[in-house]
Amino acid sequence: MIRRFDLAGLVIAAALVFFILLPVLTVFIWAFAEQWFYPSLLPTKWGLRFWSKVLERPDVWSAFWTSMKITTLVTGLSALICLPAAYAFARMEFPGRQAFMMSFLMATAFPRFAITISLAVLFLVFNLVGTVTGVVIVQLLTTLLLMIWLPTAAFRGVSRNMEEAARDVGAGPLRVFWSITLPQALPSIAAAVLMTFVWTFYETEGAWLVGAPRITTMPILMMQMINNQMVVQYGAVLSVLLWVPSLAALLLARRVLGSDTFAKGLGA
Amino acid sequence: MASDLAPPPKTSKNPLGLLMIAAPVVLMGLFLLYPALRVVLRTFGAADGSPGFSLENYARFFNDSYSLNNLGITLWTTVVTLILLIVVNLPIALYLRFRKGRLATFIQALALFPMFVPGVIICYALIRYIGPNGLLQSLLEHVGITGYQTPIMTPWGPVIGLLWDAMPFTLLVLTAGLAGISNAAIEAAQDVGASRLRILWSIVLPQIRGSLVVCTSLNFLSLFGSVLQPYMLGPTSPELMGPFMLRTFSSVRDPLQAGTQATITFLICSVAGLLYILSMGNRRKAEKETVA
Repeated sequence: MIRRFDLAGLVIAAALVFFILLPVLTVFIWAFAEQWFYPSLLPTKWGLRFWSKVLERPDVWSAFWTSMKITTLVTGLSALICLPAAYAFARMEFPGRQAFMMSFLMATAFPRFAITISLAVLFLVFNLVGTVTGVVIVQLLTTLLLMIWLPTAAFRGVSRNMEEAARDVGAGPLRVFWSITLPQALPSIAAAVLMTFVWTFYETEGAWLVGAPRITTMPILMMQMINNQMVVQYGAVLSVLLWVPSLAALLLARRVLGSDTFAKGLGA
Repeated sequence: MASDLAPPPKTSKNPLGLLMIAAPVVLMGLFLLYPALRVVLRTFGAADGSPGFSLENYARFFNDSYSLNNLGITLWTTVVTLILLIVVNLPIALYLRFRKGRLATFIQALALFPMFVPGVIICYALIRYIGPNGLLQSLLEHVGITGYQTPIMTPWGPVIGLLWDAMPFTLLVLTAGLAGISNAAIEAAQDVGASRLRILWSIVLPQIRGSLVVCTSLNFLSLFGSVLQPYMLGPTSPELMGPFMLRTFSSVRDPLQAGTQATITFLICSVAGLLYILSMGNRRKAEKETVA
Protein backbone atom coordinates (compact mmCIF):
# COMPACT_ATOMS: atom_id res chain seq x y z
CA MET A 1 0.00 0.00 0.00
CA ILE A 2 1.29 3.44 -0.87
CA ARG A 3 1.08 5.89 2.00
CA ARG A 4 -0.27 9.16 0.80
CA PHE A 5 0.61 12.31 2.66
CA ASP A 6 -2.41 12.78 4.92
CA LEU A 7 -2.84 16.56 4.86
CA ALA A 8 -6.45 16.60 6.09
CA GLY A 9 -5.54 14.41 9.06
CA LEU A 10 -2.58 16.56 10.03
CA VAL A 11 -4.63 19.76 9.83
CA ILE A 12 -7.39 18.28 12.01
CA ALA A 13 -4.88 16.89 14.52
CA ALA A 14 -3.05 20.21 14.77
CA ALA A 15 -6.29 22.15 15.23
CA LEU A 16 -7.39 19.76 17.98
CA VAL A 17 -4.05 20.05 19.76
CA PHE A 18 -4.48 23.83 19.83
CA PHE A 19 -8.15 23.76 20.75
CA ILE A 20 -8.41 20.80 23.15
CA LEU A 21 -5.00 19.78 24.43
CA LEU A 22 -3.25 23.09 25.10
CA PRO A 23 -5.96 24.57 27.37
CA VAL A 24 -5.81 21.50 29.64
CA LEU A 25 -2.02 21.57 29.56
CA THR A 26 -2.08 25.21 30.64
CA VAL A 27 -3.86 24.27 33.86
CA PHE A 28 -1.29 21.58 34.63
CA ILE A 29 1.60 23.99 34.07
CA TRP A 30 -0.02 26.64 36.27
CA ALA A 31 -0.39 24.10 39.09
CA PHE A 32 3.39 23.67 39.20
CA ALA A 33 4.28 27.33 38.67
CA GLU A 34 5.36 29.59 41.49
CA GLN A 35 5.79 32.51 39.17
CA TRP A 36 4.73 32.90 35.57
CA PHE A 37 5.11 36.32 33.99
CA TYR A 38 3.60 37.17 30.65
CA PRO A 39 4.77 36.65 27.88
CA SER A 40 7.06 33.85 29.02
CA LEU A 41 6.06 30.54 27.42
CA LEU A 42 6.82 28.58 30.58
CA PRO A 43 6.76 29.51 34.27
CA THR A 44 9.54 31.79 35.39
CA LYS A 45 9.78 29.77 38.59
CA TRP A 46 8.60 26.17 39.09
CA GLY A 47 7.62 24.71 42.41
CA LEU A 48 5.04 23.09 44.67
CA ARG A 49 4.58 25.97 47.07
CA PHE A 50 0.91 26.46 46.21
CA TRP A 51 0.01 22.83 46.82
CA SER A 52 0.59 23.12 50.54
CA LYS A 53 -1.09 26.54 50.52
CA VAL A 54 -4.23 25.05 48.98
CA LEU A 55 -4.21 22.12 51.38
CA GLU A 56 -3.92 24.48 54.34
CA ARG A 57 -7.08 26.39 53.47
CA PRO A 58 -10.03 25.48 55.73
CA ASP A 59 -12.58 26.52 53.08
CA VAL A 60 -11.14 23.93 50.68
CA TRP A 61 -11.56 21.15 53.21
CA SER A 62 -15.03 22.19 54.27
CA ALA A 63 -16.17 22.37 50.62
CA PHE A 64 -14.55 19.02 49.95
CA TRP A 65 -16.36 17.30 52.80
CA THR A 66 -19.66 18.99 51.91
CA SER A 67 -19.29 17.69 48.37
CA MET A 68 -18.32 14.20 49.49
CA LYS A 69 -21.28 14.02 51.88
CA ILE A 70 -23.82 15.22 49.32
CA THR A 71 -22.36 13.15 46.48
CA THR A 72 -22.34 9.95 48.55
CA LEU A 73 -25.90 10.56 49.67
CA VAL A 74 -27.11 11.26 46.12
CA THR A 75 -25.30 8.28 44.59
CA GLY A 76 -26.54 5.92 47.30
CA LEU A 77 -30.14 7.08 47.04
CA SER A 78 -29.98 6.97 43.26
CA ALA A 79 -28.78 3.36 43.30
CA LEU A 80 -31.44 2.40 45.83
CA ILE A 81 -34.21 3.94 43.74
CA CYS A 82 -33.02 3.13 40.24
CA LEU A 83 -31.55 -0.37 40.40
CA PRO A 84 -34.85 -2.15 41.12
CA ALA A 85 -36.46 -0.10 38.36
CA ALA A 86 -33.65 -1.08 35.98
CA TYR A 87 -34.22 -4.74 36.76
CA ALA A 88 -37.96 -4.36 36.20
CA PHE A 89 -37.45 -2.60 32.86
CA ALA A 90 -34.97 -5.24 31.72
CA ARG A 91 -36.66 -8.41 32.89
CA MET A 92 -40.29 -7.96 33.84
CA GLU A 93 -43.47 -7.43 31.91
CA PHE A 94 -45.98 -5.11 33.53
CA PRO A 95 -48.79 -2.85 32.41
CA GLY A 96 -47.54 0.41 30.91
CA ARG A 97 -43.92 -0.73 30.62
CA GLN A 98 -43.36 0.85 27.20
CA ALA A 99 -45.11 4.07 28.16
CA PHE A 100 -43.01 4.47 31.31
CA MET A 101 -39.80 3.81 29.38
CA MET A 102 -40.78 6.46 26.86
CA SER A 103 -41.66 8.96 29.59
CA PHE A 104 -38.18 8.59 31.05
CA LEU A 105 -36.71 9.26 27.62
CA MET A 106 -38.93 12.30 27.23
CA ALA A 107 -37.46 13.80 30.39
CA THR A 108 -34.34 14.52 28.34
CA ALA A 109 -36.41 16.67 25.99
CA PHE A 110 -36.68 19.48 28.55
CA PRO A 111 -34.18 22.28 29.12
CA ARG A 112 -32.69 21.14 32.39
CA PHE A 113 -31.95 24.48 33.98
CA ALA A 114 -35.49 25.77 33.42
CA ILE A 115 -36.71 22.66 35.28
CA THR A 116 -34.26 23.40 38.07
CA ILE A 117 -35.58 26.97 38.30
CA SER A 118 -39.16 25.73 38.64
CA LEU A 119 -38.04 23.24 41.29
CA ALA A 120 -36.25 26.01 43.19
CA VAL A 121 -39.43 28.13 43.08
CA LEU A 122 -41.30 25.20 44.64
CA PHE A 123 -38.54 24.74 47.24
CA LEU A 124 -39.14 28.32 48.44
CA VAL A 125 -42.53 27.18 49.72
CA PHE A 126 -41.01 24.31 51.70
CA ASN A 127 -37.95 26.27 52.91
CA LEU A 128 -35.63 23.88 51.09
CA VAL A 129 -33.55 26.59 49.42
CA GLY A 130 -30.11 26.68 51.00
CA THR A 131 -30.44 23.21 52.54
CA VAL A 132 -28.63 19.95 51.94
CA THR A 133 -31.97 18.23 51.30
CA GLY A 134 -32.73 20.66 48.49
CA VAL A 135 -29.37 20.12 46.82
CA VAL A 136 -29.70 16.34 47.19
CA ILE A 137 -33.11 16.33 45.48
CA VAL A 138 -31.93 18.51 42.58
CA GLN A 139 -28.86 16.39 41.99
CA LEU A 140 -30.73 13.12 42.47
CA LEU A 141 -33.00 14.12 39.62
CA THR A 142 -30.05 14.58 37.27
CA THR A 143 -28.73 11.08 38.03
CA LEU A 144 -31.93 9.12 37.33
CA LEU A 145 -31.48 8.56 33.60
CA LEU A 146 -27.92 7.29 33.75
CA MET A 147 -28.64 5.12 36.77
CA ILE A 148 -31.65 3.52 35.06
CA TRP A 149 -30.40 3.02 31.51
CA LEU A 150 -26.92 1.63 32.10
CA PRO A 151 -28.07 -0.99 34.64
CA THR A 152 -31.07 -1.87 32.43
CA ALA A 153 -28.64 -2.71 29.63
CA ALA A 154 -26.51 -4.65 32.12
CA PHE A 155 -29.44 -6.78 33.32
CA ARG A 156 -30.48 -7.40 29.73
CA GLY A 157 -27.03 -8.70 28.93
CA VAL A 158 -27.17 -11.45 31.55
CA SER A 159 -27.42 -14.88 29.97
CA ARG A 160 -30.93 -16.27 30.26
CA ASN A 161 -29.71 -19.79 29.61
CA MET A 162 -27.64 -19.76 32.76
CA GLU A 163 -30.56 -18.44 34.79
CA GLU A 164 -32.82 -21.14 33.44
CA ALA A 165 -30.26 -23.86 34.03
CA ALA A 166 -30.05 -22.77 37.67
CA ARG A 167 -33.83 -22.75 37.92
CA ASP A 168 -33.97 -26.26 36.40
CA VAL A 169 -31.76 -27.66 39.15
CA GLY A 170 -34.14 -26.20 41.72
CA ALA A 171 -32.84 -22.72 42.62
CA GLY A 172 -35.48 -20.26 43.80
CA PRO A 173 -35.89 -16.89 42.09
CA LEU A 174 -33.96 -14.99 44.79
CA ARG A 175 -31.16 -17.52 44.68
CA VAL A 176 -30.97 -17.22 40.88
CA PHE A 177 -30.83 -13.43 41.16
CA TRP A 178 -28.18 -13.48 43.87
CA SER A 179 -25.90 -16.16 42.41
CA ILE A 180 -26.34 -15.78 38.63
CA THR A 181 -27.89 -12.46 37.60
CA LEU A 182 -26.23 -10.05 40.00
CA PRO A 183 -22.61 -11.22 39.62
CA GLN A 184 -22.89 -10.93 35.84
CA ALA A 185 -24.44 -7.47 35.89
CA LEU A 186 -22.28 -6.17 38.73
CA PRO A 187 -19.29 -4.75 36.80
CA SER A 188 -21.53 -2.58 34.62
CA ILE A 189 -23.59 -1.49 37.60
CA ALA A 190 -20.44 -0.55 39.50
CA ALA A 191 -19.30 1.47 36.49
CA ALA A 192 -22.63 3.30 36.39
CA VAL A 193 -22.35 4.07 40.11
CA LEU A 194 -18.81 5.36 39.59
CA MET A 195 -19.90 7.63 36.72
CA THR A 196 -22.84 8.92 38.74
CA PHE A 197 -20.53 9.69 41.64
CA VAL A 198 -18.06 11.65 39.50
CA TRP A 199 -20.68 13.67 37.64
CA THR A 200 -22.62 14.42 40.81
CA PHE A 201 -19.43 15.62 42.48
CA TYR A 202 -18.96 18.13 39.64
CA GLU A 203 -22.63 19.11 39.26
CA THR A 204 -22.55 22.88 39.62
CA GLU A 205 -25.67 24.64 38.39
CA GLY A 206 -28.30 22.88 40.51
CA ALA A 207 -26.18 23.04 43.67
CA TRP A 208 -25.51 26.72 43.05
CA LEU A 209 -29.14 27.68 42.44
CA VAL A 210 -30.64 25.69 45.30
CA GLY A 211 -27.70 25.64 47.74
CA ALA A 212 -26.61 29.28 47.63
CA PRO A 213 -25.53 31.02 49.71
CA ARG A 214 -25.30 28.59 52.60
CA ILE A 215 -23.94 25.49 50.89
CA THR A 216 -20.59 25.63 49.14
CA THR A 217 -19.67 22.51 47.22
CA MET A 218 -16.29 21.97 45.64
CA PRO A 219 -17.13 23.18 42.11
CA ILE A 220 -18.79 26.29 43.57
CA LEU A 221 -15.68 27.05 45.62
CA MET A 222 -13.56 26.56 42.50
CA MET A 223 -15.79 28.97 40.61
CA GLN A 224 -15.42 31.57 43.35
CA MET A 225 -11.66 31.15 43.37
CA ILE A 226 -11.47 31.51 39.60
CA ASN A 227 -13.72 34.56 39.45
CA ASN A 228 -12.16 36.43 42.33
CA GLN A 229 -8.81 36.09 40.56
CA MET A 230 -6.92 36.08 43.83
CA VAL A 231 -4.14 33.65 43.11
CA VAL A 232 -4.18 31.85 39.77
CA GLN A 233 -2.50 28.77 41.20
CA TYR A 234 -5.30 27.95 43.68
CA GLY A 235 -7.70 27.10 40.86
CA ALA A 236 -5.02 25.21 38.97
CA VAL A 237 -3.92 23.09 41.91
CA LEU A 238 -7.50 22.26 42.86
CA SER A 239 -8.33 21.34 39.26
CA VAL A 240 -5.38 18.95 38.98
CA LEU A 241 -5.92 17.54 42.46
CA LEU A 242 -9.59 16.74 41.89
CA TRP A 243 -9.66 16.02 38.22
CA VAL A 244 -6.92 13.37 38.02
CA PRO A 245 -8.73 10.86 40.28
CA SER A 246 -12.04 11.50 38.53
CA LEU A 247 -10.41 10.99 35.13
CA ALA A 248 -9.03 7.65 36.35
CA ALA A 249 -12.49 6.65 37.60
CA LEU A 250 -14.16 7.60 34.30
CA LEU A 251 -11.56 5.78 32.22
CA LEU A 252 -12.12 2.70 34.35
CA ALA A 253 -15.88 2.97 33.85
CA ARG A 254 -15.38 3.32 30.12
CA ARG A 255 -13.22 0.23 30.08
CA VAL A 256 -15.82 -1.85 31.90
CA LEU A 257 -18.77 -0.60 29.87
CA GLY A 258 -17.19 -0.39 26.44
CA SER A 259 -16.94 2.96 24.68
CA ASP A 260 -20.39 2.80 23.06
CA THR A 261 -22.36 2.17 26.24
CA PHE A 262 -20.22 4.71 28.09
CA ALA A 263 -21.08 7.33 25.50
CA LYS A 264 -24.77 6.40 25.72
CA GLY A 265 -24.56 6.93 29.45
CA LEU A 266 -23.52 10.49 28.74
CA GLY A 267 -26.56 10.97 26.55
CA ALA A 268 -25.15 10.17 23.10
CA MET B 1 -34.34 -18.69 22.40
CA ALA B 2 -36.09 -15.37 22.80
CA SER B 3 -34.13 -12.39 21.58
CA ASP B 4 -33.68 -9.29 23.69
CA LEU B 5 -36.38 -7.47 21.77
CA ALA B 6 -39.11 -9.99 22.52
CA PRO B 7 -40.99 -9.55 25.78
CA PRO B 8 -39.51 -11.59 28.60
CA PRO B 9 -40.91 -15.15 28.65
CA LYS B 10 -43.07 -16.61 31.42
CA THR B 11 -43.35 -13.42 33.44
CA SER B 12 -46.62 -12.22 31.99
CA LYS B 13 -48.19 -9.11 33.59
CA ASN B 14 -46.41 -8.91 36.86
CA PRO B 15 -47.64 -5.99 38.98
CA LEU B 16 -44.48 -6.31 41.08
CA GLY B 17 -42.68 -4.58 38.19
CA LEU B 18 -44.88 -1.52 38.63
CA LEU B 19 -43.94 -1.39 42.28
CA MET B 20 -40.24 -1.53 41.42
CA ILE B 21 -40.40 1.40 39.04
CA ALA B 22 -42.69 3.40 41.32
CA ALA B 23 -39.93 5.31 43.15
CA PRO B 24 -38.28 6.95 40.12
CA VAL B 25 -41.67 7.60 38.50
CA VAL B 26 -42.98 9.34 41.62
CA LEU B 27 -39.74 11.35 41.89
CA MET B 28 -40.06 12.52 38.30
CA GLY B 29 -43.69 13.47 38.78
CA LEU B 30 -43.12 15.22 42.07
CA PHE B 31 -39.90 17.07 41.31
CA LEU B 32 -40.01 17.54 37.56
CA LEU B 33 -43.51 17.54 36.16
CA TYR B 34 -45.36 19.11 39.09
CA PRO B 35 -43.02 22.08 39.69
CA ALA B 36 -42.81 22.80 35.96
CA LEU B 37 -46.61 22.82 35.55
CA ARG B 38 -47.02 24.85 38.71
CA VAL B 39 -44.60 27.51 37.54
CA VAL B 40 -46.15 27.71 34.07
CA LEU B 41 -49.64 28.15 35.54
CA ARG B 42 -48.53 30.73 38.09
CA THR B 43 -46.78 32.91 35.54
CA PHE B 44 -50.07 33.23 33.66
CA GLY B 45 -51.60 34.79 36.77
CA ALA B 46 -51.36 38.30 38.18
CA ALA B 47 -47.98 39.59 39.36
CA ASP B 48 -49.26 40.10 42.91
CA GLY B 49 -50.46 36.50 43.11
CA SER B 50 -54.21 37.25 43.02
CA PRO B 51 -56.26 34.60 41.19
CA GLY B 52 -57.31 34.80 37.54
CA PHE B 53 -55.67 34.73 34.15
CA SER B 54 -53.28 37.53 33.28
CA LEU B 55 -50.39 38.18 30.93
CA GLU B 56 -48.85 40.77 33.26
CA ASN B 57 -45.63 38.81 33.86
CA TYR B 58 -45.08 38.31 30.15
CA ALA B 59 -45.84 41.93 29.39
CA ARG B 60 -43.15 42.84 31.88
CA PHE B 61 -40.64 40.56 30.18
CA PHE B 62 -41.43 41.62 26.63
CA ASN B 63 -41.56 45.34 27.42
CA ASP B 64 -38.17 45.23 29.07
CA SER B 65 -35.36 45.85 26.60
CA TYR B 66 -32.81 44.25 28.94
CA SER B 67 -34.78 40.97 29.03
CA LEU B 68 -35.27 41.06 25.25
CA ASN B 69 -31.55 41.61 24.69
CA ASN B 70 -30.84 38.60 26.87
CA LEU B 71 -33.26 36.48 24.89
CA GLY B 72 -31.64 37.71 21.67
CA ILE B 73 -28.08 36.94 22.77
CA THR B 74 -29.21 33.50 23.94
CA LEU B 75 -30.68 32.71 20.53
CA TRP B 76 -27.58 34.10 18.80
CA THR B 77 -25.21 32.03 20.98
CA THR B 78 -27.31 28.89 20.49
CA VAL B 79 -27.54 29.19 16.71
CA VAL B 80 -23.89 30.16 16.18
CA THR B 81 -22.69 27.30 18.40
CA LEU B 82 -25.00 24.82 16.65
CA ILE B 83 -23.65 25.80 13.24
CA LEU B 84 -20.04 25.69 14.43
CA LEU B 85 -20.59 22.28 16.03
CA ILE B 86 -21.64 20.81 12.68
CA VAL B 87 -19.01 22.70 10.67
CA VAL B 88 -16.25 21.49 13.01
CA ASN B 89 -17.44 17.95 13.68
CA LEU B 90 -18.67 16.83 10.28
CA PRO B 91 -15.18 16.94 8.68
CA ILE B 92 -13.72 15.10 11.68
CA ALA B 93 -16.48 12.47 11.52
CA LEU B 94 -15.96 12.05 7.76
CA TYR B 95 -12.23 11.72 8.28
CA LEU B 96 -12.74 9.05 10.95
CA ARG B 97 -15.22 7.21 8.74
CA PHE B 98 -12.80 6.83 5.83
CA ARG B 99 -9.38 6.73 7.46
CA LYS B 100 -7.95 4.23 9.87
CA GLY B 101 -4.58 4.19 11.53
CA ARG B 102 -2.61 5.89 14.24
CA LEU B 103 -3.41 9.47 13.27
CA ALA B 104 -7.15 8.66 13.16
CA THR B 105 -6.96 7.10 16.64
CA PHE B 106 -5.13 10.16 17.92
CA ILE B 107 -7.72 12.50 16.40
CA GLN B 108 -10.59 10.49 17.86
CA ALA B 109 -9.03 10.44 21.32
CA LEU B 110 -8.46 14.20 21.29
CA ALA B 111 -11.91 15.06 19.95
CA LEU B 112 -13.63 12.88 22.58
CA PHE B 113 -11.41 14.08 25.40
CA PRO B 114 -13.74 16.91 26.62
CA MET B 115 -16.13 14.12 27.69
CA PHE B 116 -13.81 13.52 30.63
CA VAL B 117 -13.38 17.13 31.70
CA PRO B 118 -15.96 18.71 34.07
CA GLY B 119 -17.40 22.10 33.13
CA VAL B 120 -15.70 24.17 35.84
CA ILE B 121 -12.29 22.91 34.81
CA ILE B 122 -12.99 23.56 31.11
CA CYS B 123 -13.90 27.16 31.92
CA TYR B 124 -10.83 27.64 34.05
CA ALA B 125 -8.56 26.10 31.41
CA LEU B 126 -9.98 28.34 28.69
CA ILE B 127 -9.59 31.48 30.79
CA ARG B 128 -5.92 30.71 31.36
CA TYR B 129 -5.38 29.70 27.75
CA ILE B 130 -7.31 32.15 25.55
CA GLY B 131 -7.86 34.80 28.21
CA PRO B 132 -5.92 38.06 28.47
CA ASN B 133 -2.18 37.37 28.82
CA GLY B 134 -2.92 33.67 28.48
CA LEU B 135 -0.75 30.99 26.98
CA LEU B 136 -2.18 31.46 23.49
CA GLN B 137 -1.33 35.15 23.51
CA SER B 138 2.22 34.31 24.65
CA LEU B 139 2.53 31.74 21.87
CA LEU B 140 1.33 34.22 19.25
CA GLU B 141 3.68 36.88 20.60
CA HIS B 142 6.59 34.50 20.22
CA VAL B 143 5.90 33.97 16.53
CA GLY B 144 5.53 37.71 16.07
CA ILE B 145 1.75 38.10 16.05
CA THR B 146 0.68 41.00 18.25
CA GLY B 147 -2.67 42.65 18.85
CA TYR B 148 -4.44 39.51 20.10
CA GLN B 149 -7.93 40.29 21.34
CA THR B 150 -9.26 37.79 23.84
CA PRO B 151 -12.77 36.40 23.22
CA ILE B 152 -13.28 35.99 26.98
CA MET B 153 -15.95 38.39 28.30
CA THR B 154 -17.25 38.88 24.77
CA PRO B 155 -20.20 36.91 23.30
CA TRP B 156 -17.64 34.58 21.65
CA GLY B 157 -16.35 33.37 25.03
CA PRO B 158 -19.42 31.24 25.79
CA VAL B 159 -19.52 30.04 22.17
CA ILE B 160 -16.00 28.65 22.51
CA GLY B 161 -16.68 27.11 25.93
CA LEU B 162 -19.92 25.49 24.77
CA LEU B 163 -18.26 24.23 21.58
CA TRP B 164 -15.59 22.56 23.71
CA ASP B 165 -18.21 21.00 25.92
CA ALA B 166 -20.59 19.70 23.24
CA MET B 167 -17.98 18.38 20.81
CA PRO B 168 -17.76 14.75 21.93
CA PHE B 169 -21.53 14.22 21.93
CA THR B 170 -21.94 15.76 18.48
CA LEU B 171 -19.05 13.77 17.05
CA LEU B 172 -20.34 10.50 18.50
CA VAL B 173 -23.80 10.97 17.01
CA LEU B 174 -22.38 11.95 13.62
CA THR B 175 -19.91 9.03 13.47
CA ALA B 176 -22.72 6.65 14.40
CA GLY B 177 -24.78 8.07 11.52
CA LEU B 178 -21.90 7.86 9.05
CA ALA B 179 -21.21 4.24 9.99
CA GLY B 180 -24.51 3.33 8.32
CA ILE B 181 -23.40 4.52 4.87
CA SER B 182 -22.16 1.72 2.65
CA ASN B 183 -18.81 1.98 0.90
CA ALA B 184 -20.44 0.53 -2.22
CA ALA B 185 -22.75 3.52 -2.68
CA ILE B 186 -19.85 5.96 -2.44
CA GLU B 187 -17.61 3.92 -4.75
CA ALA B 188 -20.39 3.69 -7.32
CA ALA B 189 -20.76 7.47 -7.27
CA GLN B 190 -17.00 7.90 -7.61
CA ASP B 191 -17.01 5.54 -10.60
CA VAL B 192 -19.48 7.72 -12.47
CA GLY B 193 -17.25 10.70 -11.74
CA ALA B 194 -19.10 12.49 -8.93
CA SER B 195 -17.02 15.09 -7.13
CA ARG B 196 -16.39 14.91 -3.37
CA LEU B 197 -18.75 17.78 -2.72
CA ARG B 198 -21.42 16.14 -4.84
CA ILE B 199 -21.04 12.87 -2.91
CA LEU B 200 -21.29 14.73 0.38
CA TRP B 201 -24.40 16.59 -0.73
CA SER B 202 -26.27 13.81 -2.55
CA ILE B 203 -25.27 10.65 -0.70
CA VAL B 204 -23.81 11.39 2.72
CA LEU B 205 -26.01 14.24 3.99
CA PRO B 206 -29.39 12.63 3.17
CA GLN B 207 -28.26 9.44 4.92
CA ILE B 208 -27.28 11.20 8.15
CA ARG B 209 -30.28 13.52 8.31
CA GLY B 210 -31.62 11.67 11.34
CA SER B 211 -28.31 12.01 13.21
CA LEU B 212 -28.14 15.70 12.36
CA VAL B 213 -31.63 16.25 13.76
CA VAL B 214 -30.88 14.30 16.95
CA CYS B 215 -27.63 16.08 17.79
CA THR B 216 -28.92 19.50 16.79
CA SER B 217 -32.13 19.24 18.82
CA LEU B 218 -30.42 17.88 21.95
CA ASN B 219 -27.62 20.42 21.64
CA PHE B 220 -30.22 23.19 21.29
CA LEU B 221 -31.75 22.18 24.63
CA SER B 222 -28.46 22.17 26.50
CA LEU B 223 -27.04 25.30 24.81
CA PHE B 224 -30.14 27.44 25.31
CA GLY B 225 -30.27 26.62 29.01
CA SER B 226 -26.52 26.69 29.66
CA VAL B 227 -25.34 28.52 32.78
CA LEU B 228 -21.74 27.81 33.63
CA GLN B 229 -19.94 28.71 30.38
CA PRO B 230 -21.88 31.94 29.76
CA TYR B 231 -21.44 32.98 33.38
CA MET B 232 -17.71 32.29 33.49
CA LEU B 233 -16.67 33.22 29.95
CA GLY B 234 -19.25 35.72 28.74
CA PRO B 235 -19.96 39.42 29.28
CA THR B 236 -22.04 40.47 32.30
CA SER B 237 -24.48 42.28 30.04
CA PRO B 238 -26.29 41.14 28.01
CA GLU B 239 -26.39 37.77 29.72
CA LEU B 240 -27.72 34.42 28.53
CA MET B 241 -31.07 33.10 29.81
CA GLY B 242 -29.31 30.62 32.14
CA PRO B 243 -27.35 33.15 34.21
CA PHE B 244 -30.26 35.61 33.83
CA MET B 245 -32.72 33.17 35.44
CA LEU B 246 -30.20 32.32 38.14
CA ARG B 247 -29.64 35.97 39.01
CA THR B 248 -33.35 36.81 38.90
CA PHE B 249 -34.02 34.00 41.35
CA SER B 250 -31.01 34.27 43.70
CA SER B 251 -30.00 37.96 43.67
CA VAL B 252 -33.08 39.89 42.55
CA ARG B 253 -35.22 37.42 44.54
CA ASP B 254 -38.09 37.56 42.10
CA PRO B 255 -39.20 33.91 41.73
CA LEU B 256 -42.24 34.82 39.64
CA GLN B 257 -40.17 36.63 37.01
CA ALA B 258 -37.57 33.81 37.12
CA GLY B 259 -40.47 31.43 36.51
CA THR B 260 -41.64 33.56 33.59
CA GLN B 261 -38.16 33.39 32.08
CA ALA B 262 -38.16 29.62 32.64
CA THR B 263 -41.54 29.27 30.92
CA ILE B 264 -40.30 31.26 27.92
CA THR B 265 -37.29 28.92 27.85
CA PHE B 266 -39.65 25.92 27.99
CA LEU B 267 -41.70 27.25 25.10
CA ILE B 268 -38.75 27.99 22.83
CA CYS B 269 -37.07 24.70 23.67
CA SER B 270 -40.26 22.70 23.17
CA VAL B 271 -39.69 22.93 19.42
CA ALA B 272 -36.32 21.23 19.77
CA GLY B 273 -37.72 18.75 22.30
CA LEU B 274 -40.54 17.78 19.96
CA LEU B 275 -38.12 17.33 17.05
CA TYR B 276 -35.98 15.09 19.24
CA ILE B 277 -38.90 12.93 20.36
CA LEU B 278 -40.19 12.59 16.81
CA SER B 279 -36.80 11.58 15.43
CA MET B 280 -36.33 9.07 18.26
CA GLY B 281 -39.73 7.60 17.40
CA ASN B 282 -38.75 7.33 13.74
CA ARG B 283 -35.51 5.69 14.69
CA ARG B 284 -37.27 3.09 16.83
CA LYS B 285 -39.72 2.36 14.03
CA ALA B 286 -36.86 1.95 11.56
CA GLU B 287 -35.05 -0.38 13.96
CA LYS B 288 -38.16 -2.49 14.38
CA GLU B 289 -38.63 -2.75 10.62
CA THR B 290 -35.07 -3.87 10.02
CA VAL B 291 -35.43 -6.49 12.74
CA ALA B 292 -38.73 -7.85 11.38
